[in-house]
Amino acid sequence: MNLTFPFLLHQTICGAIAAAGFGVLFNIGFRSLPWCAASGALALAVRTYCLGLGWNLEAASFAAALTVGAAVQVLRARTDISQNALDVVGCIPMVPGSFAAKAILSMFALTSTSTGDASETLITAVQFALRVTFTIGAIGTGLAIPTLLLRVRVTR
Amino acid sequence: MDMIDSLIPDDSGSTPALEPMAMVALDAGRMLMESGASANSIDEIVAKFARGLGADRVDLRIGYASLAITIGIGPNGITRMREVGHLGVNQRLDQELWHLAEKVSRGDLSTEQTRAELTRLATQTPRHSAWVMAVAVGLACAAFGRLLKVDWAGTGPVFLAATLGQFFRRELLTRHVNVFICASLVSFLSSLFGGLGAHWAGSAQINMAMIASILLLVPGVPSVNALNDILEGHPTLGSARAVTVAVILIFVAAGLWFGQVLLSHLGIET
Repeated sequence: MNLTFPFLLHQTICGAIAAAGFGVLFNIGFRSLPWCAASGALALAVRTYCLGLGWNLEAASFAAALTVGAAVQVLRARTDISQNALDVVGCIPMVPGSFAAKAILSMFALTSTSTGDASETLITAVQFALRVTFTIGAIGTGLAIPTLLLRVRVTR
Repeated sequence: MDMIDSLIPDDSGSTPALEPMAMVALDAGRMLMESGASANSIDEIVAKFARGLGADRVDLRIGYASLAITIGIGPNGITRMREVGHLGVNQRLDQELWHLAEKVSRGDLSTEQTRAELTRLATQTPRHSAWVMAVAVGLACAAFGRLLKVDWAGTGPVFLAATLGQFFRRELLTRHVNVFICASLVSFLSSLFGGLGAHWAGSAQINMAMIASILLLVPGVPSVNALNDILEGHPTLGSARAVTVAVILIFVAAGLWFGQVLLSHLGIET
């Protein structure tokens, strides 16, 4: 991927808007929304940068989630918002919803394609399904590692 | 034998404070779970409430649709269970519950005062208005659209379709429509409006605009919670969440598929 500063900025801003929008859906107060936007912006900036380095989507998503998880751990004392919500909201823009939809639509298509197209459709469906699984796994693991390493219980 | 006997909770009723204490702790856990918390957070907050109210021992079992607790003071103990309702996401309630847990763990509140506070939080925690939420979701989906390389002509229709979809979803959920049926209906409506709008706006990315319009339905929090729960030692709850996420995605995709079929019947190629 050809990484340019305008493209990185575009992805970062879109990540911030998506995270803040979902922050409202999750009933986060207006005063805490800038933290959500910052979390989403950081996630998309790191993911876009890593993709620009030639990493695959799963690895880039893992790196982004790990960064967001670590940043939220560091900043948890400064924000009046639960850590779980802040890092999940930040990573929401990376959840591969479009791949999930495409995977299931490809499976639907399997029932109606001719025999010649079936194997190609099946491979497409499996590829999308695997990407969804691995990407969600990468995001969840990336978020969990800082929490598991730096867990300080009962300090909210 | 004596040692084993001493570990068996005695449900003799000789310590009447245990019953309300257990139910208040369970209510706090239920409310947190319904607000979208992970299993470890629920475990933590229930322990805070129960110990803050005076329990010596607390053991919690977290299921997808119920919580069960055993608490004890000295030689007495009881086990109680509580049903858990629809698992949504409500960050402000989550936040308020943690503030209350701090007070309770410091011993500032009695069981009855804690129960009254929980009732107050359940009924009075503010929510954003339906229109604010709908517009915010519309903006988020439009941003998603840009991330999915939808062109600018398709971004406006995505915003409108997702805004309408969120408003429609809220209306359906307030009428207690089944969440899976709701996901399909909203997916169909949003994808149809997104696709039609993108076509009329001259977008070259009609299919991606349709997909971006339904991303409000992707259960992001449950899917991340599912993996967190498994990683943190709650595989049963994590698996249940993962299955629910998978079924919701199937219903969402079905709605999208119907939208695509209808558009193709109208002569619009997606």
